[in-house]
Amino acid sequence: MKKVTRVSALVATTALIASAFLGNSAKAADVVELKMVAADYANMQPFWDDLAAKFTKANPTIKVTVNVVSWETIDDKVKTLIATGQTPDVVNKGDYSAAAAEGLLYRADEMVSKKTLDDIVPTFLNNSKYNGVAYAVPDLASARALFYNKDILKKAGVTKLPTTWTELEKVLKQIKAKVPGVYPYALPLGPEEAQAEFSIWAGGNGGVTFKNGKWVINSKENVQTMTFLKKLTDQKLTQPNPAKCDRTACAQTLFAAGKAAFINGSVFLPGWLKDNGGAKINLGSGSFVAAPGKKPVTLGVQDYFTAYKANGHKAEITKWMDFIFEPTNYAAFLKAAGGFIPATKSAGANAAKDPALAPFIKLLPSAIFYPGDQAAWPAVKGAIQQQIGTALANPQKALDAIQAKAEAAK
Amino acid sequence: MSGRTMNKSRLGALPWIAPAIIMIAVFVVWPAFEMIRTSFQNVGATGQSKGWAGFDNYHTLLQNPDLKNVLIRTFIWVVGVVFFTMIISLPVAQLLNANYPGRKVVRWSIIVPWAASLVMTSTAWKWILDAYYGVLNEIAIDLHLRKESIDWLADTKQSFIWLMVVAVFVSIPFTSFVILAGLSTIPNDIKEASHVDGATSWKSYRHITFPLLKPSLFVAAVINLINVFNSFPIIWVITQGGPGYETDTTTTLAYKISFRDQDVGQSAAMAAVNFVIILVFIGLFLKASKNQEQN
Repeated sequence: MKKVTRVSALVATTALIASAFLGNSAKAADVVELKMVAADYANMQPFWDDLAAKFTKANPTIKVTVNVVSWETIDDKVKTLIATGQTPDVVNKGDYSAAAAEGLLYRADEMVSKKTLDDIVPTFLNNSKYNGVAYAVPDLASARALFYNKDILKKAGVTKLPTTWTELEKVLKQIKAKVPGVYPYALPLGPEEAQAEFSIWAGGNGGVTFKNGKWVINSKENVQTMTFLKKLTDQKLTQPNPAKCDRTACAQTLFAAGKAAFINGSVFLPGWLKDNGGAKINLGSGSFVAAPGKKPVTLGVQDYFTAYKANGHKAEITKWMDFIFEPTNYAAFLKAAGGFIPATKSAGANAAKDPALAPFIKLLPSAIFYPGDQAAWPAVKGAIQQQIGTALANPQKALDAIQAKAEAAK
Repeated sequence: MSGRTMNKSRLGALPWIAPAIIMIAVFVVWPAFEMIRTSFQNVGATGQSKGWAGFDNYHTLLQNPDLKNVLIRTFIWVVGVVFFTMIISLPVAQLLNANYPGRKVVRWSIIVPWAASLVMTSTAWKWILDAYYGVLNEIAIDLHLRKESIDWLADTKQSFIWLMVVAVFVSIPFTSFVILAGLSTIPNDIKEASHVDGATSWKSYRHITFPLLKPSLFVAAVINLINVFNSFPIIWVITQGGPGYETDTTTTLAYKISFRDQDVGQSAAMAAVNFVIILVFIGLFLKASKNQEQN
């Protein structure tokens, strides 16, 4: 009896080891498997599954698996995959420069055919370069505007939309006085997307994060910007505690609930409101406010497809990428993502006729972009997300701390 | 024949413990080894190794401006959470040990926060404490304790206290059950004897029960020290260690260095330092338990 059980324990152990290895061994020969990790704009998994199935039907020797990951975790996920030797073939997310700097990526002209590359909007392709060579293909873009709740403004008796900081401050005070229970401006400086809120405010004061080959996060303009935001917060013209207010769960949710009058919103905000309980908000938009005497700007944000060399699937990647950019497939991609600005000229021509997108497309030439071509940008973005909220306590100190991180980043 | 028996016994318990050994090797020893190896490597922002870095990562870590405050906070976190967990668990265990109808239900209900996933519990607490929709605010307003809702997690010190409250809340079940196990080993005749000798309930607890509980208290304290020190989900779910680094412990800081500052090497160095701190804890535990045995 004893012997039998001992043998069975050995068998169980062997089975445990075997099962750990067997999982990987069953692969059909001659079929190349492309692995892609994609950010979740809206509900993207059904779209990608469907597209991948269509692609394999047309190309039976290539199988594509797309893993859709939320924006909050995609950077961590991709980094973990690379660090553990499971590098994906294609990634769709918000940055590329660090991977380009480390030589992990195919060039844009290796990723897609010349025909597809020629169709990409030049401005966006320019923002996809590292040391003058494009290492990513833009997938779509967004621009920002100042959105407002028309009903609240009407109640407060605001007739003219503010265009400068001074005017905005006055209007916010007016709302606070006349419409109790509403936060005049929703200011999300929590980690999720703080770099966007910071960049567009700073841009309105002529401030940037990177200039002439140097990080300039603690520039005079940026300190002034954060000091102004501190002033708004101190007067309770924003929701309390912007430092822990994330864009989606806090600021946009307050706005959707009719509890905030103004918000810095991206081109996809109207669609988001519809899906998240804000369908009844009487929405208006205008260009974002600038400091007195400064030019108003918009913040352009673009995301990317990147292709990794690690698995050597260059030919298959090109086929897949070209397939994504085929006009009908690309239109479906934009539709699934929900209300973004297209990255191709052909789709852009259609979008320019769309009344929801047209004003944003017009704004793009004057847009400022993140310094996404800098290898250290992901680290700098992380530092801004982490610490910019503390600038509401002490602008200079917080910006100095971020500047130090930016200079130390590899 | 005797030779075969010898062989068999030499193989001994190995077949039985082999699965456990393999699990430990794969899931504990190997990751720990990889972590320490990574801490001596220069790792790029994408997660790729660029070769050996010597002690550079440790050097950068020591110069990290946020490290000092985070270490102090980690100390407060560990000591505070473990202390209050123990203090509260003692009477809870007493309650679980007492005989009354419905004891089973009470025992079950105390197990729940322990059985639930930490991320789940933390998410629930995050919403309980929410400034706009939190149920704690609702209750406070309904009971006329407050006129308007407040943000319980606004002030960094206050939110750190709330994090500790949640950590104590999730640590109590395990701790009180360890103490309960200790209580059930105390023979009733000793207590009865003390009553016969005229000891009051409190005196009997103070001089009989409590000293006999020491071994289980000890085990509970040390396991809690390790658990609380390594605790990640509570802080991450509720505040992400923010704003800035104001509610971080070394565990969440290690994560942030890796995934916000994009410095995997330095993060591994932080994790290795954490590992050393834990080893010191375990060393102290072994030493103290030896002393206990000798006493």
